[in-house]
Amino acid sequence: MQTQMTAIEVAGQNISNVNTKGYSRQTADITTSPDVQSSVGSEGTGTTVTSIDQVVSQLLNSQIQSQSSTSGYWSGQQSALQSAQDAVNEYLSGTSTSSTSSTTASSDTSSSGLSTLLNNFFSAFSSLATSNSSSNQQATVNAAQNLANSFNNIDSALSSVRSSLNDTITSGVSSANQLLTNIAGLNQEINNAEAGGGNANDLRDEREQDLENLSDLTTINTSTSSNGAVNVAIGGQTLVSGYTVNDTLQTYDAGSGQLMVQTASGGVQLTLTGGSIQGTINARDNTLATVQGNLNTLANTVISQVNNVLDNGYNSTGGTGNTFFTGSDASSIAVNATMANNPALIQISGSSTSSGDTSLALQVSDLSNTAQSALNNQTFSGSYVSTITDLGTALDDANTEVTDQTTVSDMLSTQRSSVSGVNLDEEMTNLMSYQRAYEASANVVTTINTLLGDTMNLKS
Amino acid sequence: MRIATNSYTSTMLDQFSSLQTQMDNLQSQVSTGLSIQSSSDNPTAMDETLTDLTQKAKQTQYTSNIDSLQTRANTIYSTLDSLQTIVSKASEIATTAASGTSNSTSMTNYADEVNSLLNEVVSAANTKDPTTGDYLFGGTESSTTPYTSTTDSSGNITSVTYNGNSSVNAARISDTQTVSIDIPGENTTGTGTRGLITDSTSGADMINHLISLRDDLESGDTTAISATDSPNLTKDEDNITYQVAHNGTLQNQLSAASTLASGNTTTLNTDITNSSSASLTAVATELTSAETAYQAALETSAKIQQLSILNYIS
Repeated sequence: MQTQMTAIEVAGQNISNVNTKGYSRQTADITTSPDVQSSVGSEGTGTTVTSIDQVVSQLLNSQIQSQSSTSGYWSGQQSALQSAQDAVNEYLSGTSTSSTSSTTASSDTSSSGLSTLLNNFFSAFSSLATSNSSSNQQATVNAAQNLANSFNNIDSALSSVRSSLNDTITSGVSSANQLLTNIAGLNQEINNAEAGGGNANDLRDEREQDLENLSDLTTINTSTSSNGAVNVAIGGQTLVSGYTVNDTLQTYDAGSGQLMVQTASGGVQLTLTGGSIQGTINARDNTLATVQGNLNTLANTVISQVNNVLDNGYNSTGGTGNTFFTGSDASSIAVNATMANNPALIQISGSSTSSGDTSLALQVSDLSNTAQSALNNQTFSGSYVSTITDLGTALDDANTEVTDQTTVSDMLSTQRSSVSGVNLDEEMTNLMSYQRAYEASANVVTTINTLLGDTMNLKS
Repeated sequence: MRIATNSYTSTMLDQFSSLQTQMDNLQSQVSTGLSIQSSSDNPTAMDETLTDLTQKAKQTQYTSNIDSLQTRANTIYSTLDSLQTIVSKASEIATTAASGTSNSTSMTNYADEVNSLLNEVVSAANTKDPTTGDYLFGGTESSTTPYTSTTDSSGNITSVTYNGNSSVNAARISDTQTVSIDIPGENTTGTGTRGLITDSTSGADMINHLISLRDDLESGDTTAISATDSPNLTKDEDNITYQVAHNGTLQNQLSAASTLASGNTTTLNTDITNSSSASLTAVATELTSAETAYQAALETSAKIQQLSILNYIS
């Protein structure tokens, strides 16, 4: 009866943990008790539960661990790049106009971002070339201000994406440190619990879960000591050895706010290979840095090329000396404040005595068709579109990888739950069979009791 | 294969979420008519769309430049037309006066008529663009009155000063073409756009020729009228005829460029549609099948969740 009771308790434990993440179902290992030799031969002594075992596949667990690092890496990339794409804000919009004859939705497609403003800027100069009128001057200065503001906004949005990625890295590192402490603690607890024999199944589940969470953050190498403790190494540095945390992780600034990871007390700079921390670092240092760099080069080239033309010009009253753009990159580009207040100061005349000369406006508008050596021999908008396409391609790749890795992860966890997960129907069936066995055993006791009673009654 | 009870739930949740994402995506395609909205949806198509949109913006700008240049060319044409009338009237007067049949009274009347023609010419040469307010015939010195005249005590023009220059602005009307619509009042350089009133290439100098005609009419010098004034006015007439023809050529160039720009815009619109527009039929079909799949997932999950051995034991 005790055996059946233990089995029922195990089933109960399984049922109550049906929805617990990372729980591995347990089974009571029921074996026949050693028999006793009697005069009539060996006599059975019933059953006993020799152990309560976890149903786990170590192979699947280690696969899931390494899969976690890969998934984590791509998720880190995906969320970083998605933020970058949102920051750049180059989205198409349109209005669906369905017509019965056409099966294609024709839309007045337009784009929200810098590309439109860049086009507007050069168009304004093209209009200005047809007439140096005050309304055209005002429109040109407005278009230039919109362009400069858009550069400023994108740059500041990308900078805040960068700083929030640094925050993600810092919080990832602190979660990893917490997990390292937990794992070392669990190593100790598992050893204590198993010292008297038996298996600390639930603690092992918990440790497995921590290892997976840690793998999600960064690639780990694990090894198991003879005492069952799991040692954890990150980037070649053993951080958890047995029951102690040798060292923890720490971020350091590799220069101009570029946070990287090193060991806290050893100060060893780590080269991580997978996990969301490295995914975030890579997205920040590669795609995001390239986008920021390209936009700065673009802004700088716009400033220098436009000023190069207009600095030689004269305004409509023959005045000169007011540069058009100030600043040197995407964060600082602005229309000269004096000119913004007085668009008539725009210097598009090639001669100090020709108030209506617009030859320099034509030169500026023609810059839009000119390949710029500073932009890899692309035009302004060509270079910008390439930047957007590179960012989009990186994000598209990350999206595809995340989808693929999710499929693999799902498959692995389905396989694991197939081995280790709890099935209620199965547990209920087991429960009933243990219940029946318990009832039967109880009946045996009742029968023996009745027989003993009958025997006692023989006296009277 | 064993199926763990909670893997039903997680699988169903995954399916719901993926189908909802799919439907949301299709829904936004239907409402915007666009198959892509950001570069990550399809980097190549986005690249093409943005490049096409830039090209389209240029074509739109060319069209807008052409429109304002056409208005300007029409204004210039009306001035040329009235100058042509004036110069041929002056020519007639010169011919009539030179025949020697007019008496001194009619010569004075002719001189008065030429005086009024002179005023008309100066006023025509000082015409402004009605849209921009620029002086049309001052070269690129478009904010100063091109011609200021000096008058004698009786208000007659004795001489004029040209305050403009001989340069003209060019504007872009296609990727390869720029056009200069304007005519400077005076061009004595012998190169560039010919002057309207005074031009060294054609020998035109309309205002001074009219002044000289008037002076000769007043003094009754018929010899000078026939020997000098008449041939000079012919040069002026020829110059205006040349300008009218040139204006016509430019207008043709503008309408050809306009046709080109609108043709390019149509092509680019088609390209943009091809790379970024959603096919409504395809999207509607996909949306229906996604809805069906979603309903099926909901129904089966509801059924599966009800199935349990617990329903059969008591």
